[in-house]
Amino acid sequence: YIFLFFQEKMLDSAFNIDFGYLEGICRGFKNGILKQTDYLNLVQCETLDDLKLHLQSTDYGNFLANEASPLQVSVIDDKLREKLVAEFQHVRNHAVEPLTLFLDYITYGYMIDNIVLLITGALHQRPISELMPKCHPLGTFEQIEAINVASTSVELYNAVLVDTPLAEFFGECISEQDLDELNIEIIRNTLYKAYLESFYNYCQSLGGATADVMCEILAFEADRRAFIITLNSFGTELSKEDRSKLYPTCGKLYPDGLAALARADDPENVKQVAEFYAEYRALFEGAGNNPGDKTLEDKFFEHEVKLNVNAFLQQFHYGVFYAYLKLKEQECRNIVWISECIAQKHRAKIDNYIPIL
Amino acid sequence: MTSIFRSEEMALCQLFLSSETAYNCVSELGEIGLVQFRDLNPDVNAFQKKFVHEIRRCEEMERKLRYLETEAEKDDIEIVDQGDNPEAPQPREMIDFEATFEKLENELREVNTNAETLKKNFLELTELKYVLEASQVFFAERDTEPSSNLSQNLLPAEEGPTQGPVQLGFVAGVIERSRMAMFERMLWRVCRGNAFVRRQDIPTPLPDPLTGQDLNKIVFLIFFQGEQLKVKVKKICEGCRSTLYPCPETAAERKEMIDGVKNRLEDLNTVLSQTNDHRHRVLVAAAKHLRVWFIKVRKIKGIYFTLNKFNFDVTNKCLIAEAWIPEIDLTRIKMALCKGAERSGSTMEPILNRMDTRTQPPTFHRRNRFTSGFQNLIDAYAICTYREINPGLFTTTTFPFLFAIMFGDCGHGIIMALFALYLVVKEKAIIAAKSKAEIFNMLFAGRYIILLMGLFSIYTGFIYNDVFSKSFNIFGSRFHVGNISRTAVLQDHKTQFMLNPADPTDYEATPYPMGMDPIWQLSLNKITFQNSFKMKISVIVGIIHMTFGIVLSFLNYRHFKKTIDIVFQFIPQIIFLMGLFGYLCFLVVYKWFNYSGLNDSPFLGHLKKIIATVKILTCTPNQYNVQVTLILICLIMVPILLLPKPLILKKQHEKRMKLRSRESHAYEQDIGEPEEEEEKFEFSEVFIHQAIHTIEFVLGCISHTASYLRLWALSLAHAQLSEVLWMMIFRIVKYGNRVYNGVSNLRRLVLLNYSNFSGYGRFVSILTHSSITLISFIRWSSAQNSCMVKGTLLSPSVLSILLMLKMSKYIRTDFTSTSDDKTVHILSRYHYPDIKKMILDIIYIPNQII
Repeated sequence: YIFLFFQEKMLDSAFNIDFGYLEGICRGFKNGILKQTDYLNLVQCETLDDLKLHLQSTDYGNFLANEASPLQVSVIDDKLREKLVAEFQHVRNHAVEPLTLFLDYITYGYMIDNIVLLITGALHQRPISELMPKCHPLGTFEQIEAINVASTSVELYNAVLVDTPLAEFFGECISEQDLDELNIEIIRNTLYKAYLESFYNYCQSLGGATADVMCEILAFEADRRAFIITLNSFGTELSKEDRSKLYPTCGKLYPDGLAALARADDPENVKQVAEFYAEYRALFEGAGNNPGDKTLEDKFFEHEVKLNVNAFLQQFHYGVFYAYLKLKEQECRNIVWISECIAQKHRAKIDNYIPIL
Repeated sequence: MTSIFRSEEMALCQLFLSSETAYNCVSELGEIGLVQFRDLNPDVNAFQKKFVHEIRRCEEMERKLRYLETEAEKDDIEIVDQGDNPEAPQPREMIDFEATFEKLENELREVNTNAETLKKNFLELTELKYVLEASQVFFAERDTEPSSNLSQNLLPAEEGPTQGPVQLGFVAGVIERSRMAMFERMLWRVCRGNAFVRRQDIPTPLPDPLTGQDLNKIVFLIFFQGEQLKVKVKKICEGCRSTLYPCPETAAERKEMIDGVKNRLEDLNTVLSQTNDHRHRVLVAAAKHLRVWFIKVRKIKGIYFTLNKFNFDVTNKCLIAEAWIPEIDLTRIKMALCKGAERSGSTMEPILNRMDTRTQPPTFHRRNRFTSGFQNLIDAYAICTYREINPGLFTTTTFPFLFAIMFGDCGHGIIMALFALYLVVKEKAIIAAKSKAEIFNMLFAGRYIILLMGLFSIYTGFIYNDVFSKSFNIFGSRFHVGNISRTAVLQDHKTQFMLNPADPTDYEATPYPMGMDPIWQLSLNKITFQNSFKMKISVIVGIIHMTFGIVLSFLNYRHFKKTIDIVFQFIPQIIFLMGLFGYLCFLVVYKWFNYSGLNDSPFLGHLKKIIATVKILTCTPNQYNVQVTLILICLIMVPILLLPKPLILKKQHEKRMKLRSRESHAYEQDIGEPEEEEEKFEFSEVFIHQAIHTIEFVLGCISHTASYLRLWALSLAHAQLSEVLWMMIFRIVKYGNRVYNGVSNLRRLVLLNYSNFSGYGRFVSILTHSSITLISFIRWSSAQNSCMVKGTLLSPSVLSILLMLKMSKYIRTDFTSTSDDKTVHILSRYHYPDIKKMILDIIYIPNQII
């Protein structure tokens, strides 16, 4: 009984009984994330083989050892992702409830992306077998390949998604309309909204440090989506009402900021909304589209990295797993960016990676 | 001068190698393996080093070799390993290697792609065959049941669209069994139940053409109505990774198709086997050289890796290396360098210069087969600093001896020694076999340790007079048991008796010449007697061991001429240890010589004796004074250990600083940069270090002594275990006119349905006990070197096991009393166990277990 009491209360002292090993392993993985000096070295590389040689001296080790010599960027990308997925799966396989559900929640986001990718591909008459390798391996599920059976969202729900964990997020986007580009984007964003809100509530129900850390990160994620949806909607057929339905309501913008965003007509208005929020104001102010400036997207990424790194400052919570995955993804993007620049001999922009401090 | 007691003297040397000889020279040095190169370009990026191109080529070759290896493993081809050690090939040979590997890899890849397509074809045809056969069965079923309404309505008629009322379409295909459930569910959902599925398992698993894994598959036929459904069904089939096959509608066509398929399958089979043969031939040819190639490529890579540590001189014609070399091997190294230069045909002789340096040289212990096991053990704790005394040498004796004190059994020792002897004798064959079993390799690496442990155990077994819990009566026992004759005692195990050395009728007053008197093995107070002996022995051995360690530290101080350490560290330490624990040992030995059972004061029982020794009471009149003085001296030693050394070091440092500042004033003009080699001195750090050392020493003395008591605890545990093993498993017991050994004893219990629990529980407890003893041995033997104290976890565990044994004994008495056995009267005294008796029973050895 005492044990159960401890578990229910999520006392820090009881955390290590079930999750100490995994947290330890996750922090170990995190220590393997490339440092600033590594990036400085990577940027100096002349060819992709140099890059490979340098990565060998980091935690990546021999992950490219079995690839034939003229390296392709896509091969590096695949291998990076493969390694990340292997690490995540290792943690997932050793997890017990409630961490299991938490980790599954992380994968739902990838599922949504995969579904949208496949449907869009199917709309353009591309065969599924060609699209499958592009799907993120964390977001695959059994029925995913049969996705082109569906031509409307109802069919999509009834045939494919009803057995998957995504079913509960799908409630709002069931309609008899045929799937087209705009529809798909709406489906993606509605799904994502439902997913983020559900994930947010779940983290809140876990309580403790997990709630503190994860709600911060997820709130930022929600706000970022709201901003980006608004910015991208200008000049499309999307009506303001429809747009406001897509905003996730678990962020710091809710409710005033979202209402203001719903009224926005041009990027200047969006910026005005951000003025009211200290952390977002800084992001919008630093961003610009001129050469040499950082884009808003990069600014968002930088902020995300900061939040994720902060997650490691606390102990005994699940946020580290999420944060690690996101940081590592950012690192993969960085490496791929640098290798793209090297491969295309386009060195001017090679420094535009987002350092993980 | 080198000696086996200390690590070797090392010299820092500078090597000048001309760029054409460098490769061969490094190769020669690599074969000797006595040189440690210093990295002269630690700041250069890995991909900017001089020979990175060559290293990359080697990695590429390795990759190809690994590919060959995995392919060979797929075909179960044994990769021959003759254990030969080829020399590193010349750099120019690298191109040949690259060409060979390239050719092999391409050939293999080509064969593989061919084989893959062939296999894919083969798989498709086999699946088609199964589909056709299965559909044959389905349709045949319908034909045999013409009366069935259902089938008539639903299944398409063979003779064309005119006959049936409703025309049903169908598709046939094959799907993995694991996906079948999902597939059917999805069909149901999408077609809203309007599709009818028939399925049949394919009896043999089919291999996947890519991975070669065996997959279980299922043939299915789906019947449906209308074009729209057909599109949907096909999409689902595609989505679930099933393969659809054309299946003709009429029986005749199907038959024809099956024949065709079978013919093609046969053709394919022959082609496939030819391809496989070819692949096999290629791989077998490659596998012969694979190991040698691997070694060669790795050597080249190693050489270039080392060359990357070298500096180029200004003219770029010469490579400069710095390396640590054992002093006595200097000539050997020089010879090797000359040989290397000769091999590369250069006239320029490599130059080897000794350099003067103040950096601490690396520690180097030369090892051989015998010492390496022990050295590994020592290195696991720490590696000595340069020129310190190497404890590895002494461990060769102390480690097995301490083990043997715990193990103490002639018979088990012989088994162990024989096992290790086998490993030692078969050494070469086993090394050549390159076993990959981790546990076995660990045992094998420690084979000499095990051998010595076995031999020492035989010796201690003699001293304890213990062979599988029995004893030798070589010199004749020196005890009588009352009036019972000696032979009767030794032969009749059932007689119970206590031995009293104080009783002149029992004891002849001359001790047994060597080791224990064998009669103790049979007496009731065996444990009481042996406990006292083993406990004292283990403390004495422990104190000797610790003293030895302190003496070694003295030898180190003397060697490094650290007078302060000798006076303020060694002397207080040895006085402290001797004053407290040395005196304890002295008392023990003194008592052995001056008191025996005959003249011992009668009120000092066994337990009181221990207490008396510890309290150090009443032996001689002056004893009290002596003891108080000793304790006071020991207490005084603690501050002496703690305070003077850091203070003196501080003084010395200040003096040095003053001197230096004066010097630097004088030479300020002459020398631009003063030597920045003085060690940093931080008083607080030195003081804290000394404080920790003091506390550790004082507490360590006490806790280590307690720790050495485990020698006693474990030898007790071992003796108990072997006795229980003997009683329960090996002993042959007579019941009436039937003879049972231990195993059949257990079986009898089960068969006669007395109580499974007692027999089984006892067996389990024996197993548990043995494993716990083993673990404790391992733990102990690792603890004795670090002198770590982990508390006395062991004793409770042994006690609890003994308790388990006892419990099973009580349970057992219940059923024995129901049988008309003559043993009943012995066991019946356990009928009404009370707690006190049980505990007493645990403390004394179980002597009456049947």
